[in-house]
Amino acid sequence: MQATISAEEDLADVDRVLAGDVEAFAGIVRRWQGPLINMAWRYCRDRGRAEELAQEAFLRAWRGLSQWRRESSFSTWLFALAANVFRSELKRFPTVTVPLEAAPEPSGSPTQHNTLSKELSRGAVRRAVLALPHRYREPVVLFYFHEMDVAAAARTMHLPEGTMKARLSRARALLRRRFPHLEAEQVEMEFEVLTTGKEA
Amino acid sequence: MNRIDVDHPEMELSRIDRILASEEPLIPSSGFLGSVLERVREEAAAPPPIPFPWKRAIPAVLFTAGIFGWAAFELVRLGLPAAGSLADAGSVSLAMPHLSAVAVQPFEPAGWVALALGTSLFSWLLARRLAGQSGLL
Repeated sequence: MQATISAEEDLADVDRVLAGDVEAFAGIVRRWQGPLINMAWRYCRDRGRAEELAQEAFLRAWRGLSQWRRESSFSTWLFALAANVFRSELKRFPTVTVPLEAAPEPSGSPTQHNTLSKELSRGAVRRAVLALPHRYREPVVLFYFHEMDVAAAARTMHLPEGTMKARLSRARALLRRRFPHLEAEQVEMEFEVLTTGKEA
Repeated sequence: MNRIDVDHPEMELSRIDRILASEEPLIPSSGFLGSVLERVREEAAAPPPIPFPWKRAIPAVLFTAGIFGWAAFELVRLGLPAAGSLADAGSVSLAMPHLSAVAVQPFEPAGWVALALGTSLFSWLLARRLAGQSGLL
């Protein structure tokens, strides 16, 4: 229902902007600023840069609004455009990344858990995504951004779903190889859930 | 909805999936909307880009192409007999006939120099005219 309302609002705002009402673009920015900044954040892990990238994406959307053919939803068009912008901007001015092998792995055995080590693990895994080879990085970024919807991620990248699944599978294998302790931890956690009925 | 179960029934939701899927969303800074709209307004208020004056440029392009074509034709026309005479004489030096021609007719190249200067002047005047100016200075 929310998506339908948003789609109708998007359509109305786009029509107003194309008719010459510049201020109608505010509605579009207001609705999509959160998703676009979060998407950019996943591409670069730098808050300031994420806002710059999102701003550039909105400007490109403004310039190319008449090119939206309305065959797909406005959000699909906007995300695909934003992904293009982020990709080209980050190619021009790349973020500082380390090779996947050099990405730090948190020390400590899986049994020595506390909030800090969990946070370190999460940070390390998220940074490691940026260290993935280019062809696997973007599918991972978009797959998790789209709440693990393969079809949506494939649409954003203009890739067939099969290709997207293959790249995701390879990327997940690379990440699992880089963070083997997390897999061990997963097995232990599932065992704990099975035996105690409580999720950690 | 856990879509990975639908798309990858063979895969379980691993810890890595959980980490990457559970990010705290960023809240846009308070000035973000304003700065985007400011740039959009600037773009909307900016005059449209000046189109290239093709109508005025096409005659000049044709004229220049004509000059170059004519020059090429003249070069070939003058060059071929010289090359032929060289071949006939079995000469080793290519520069000699031209040097001797210059020595015999010292004022002939003056026409070419004048033509080159005239073309340069015309190009300069045309460029100024296309740029919207008039007069020499």
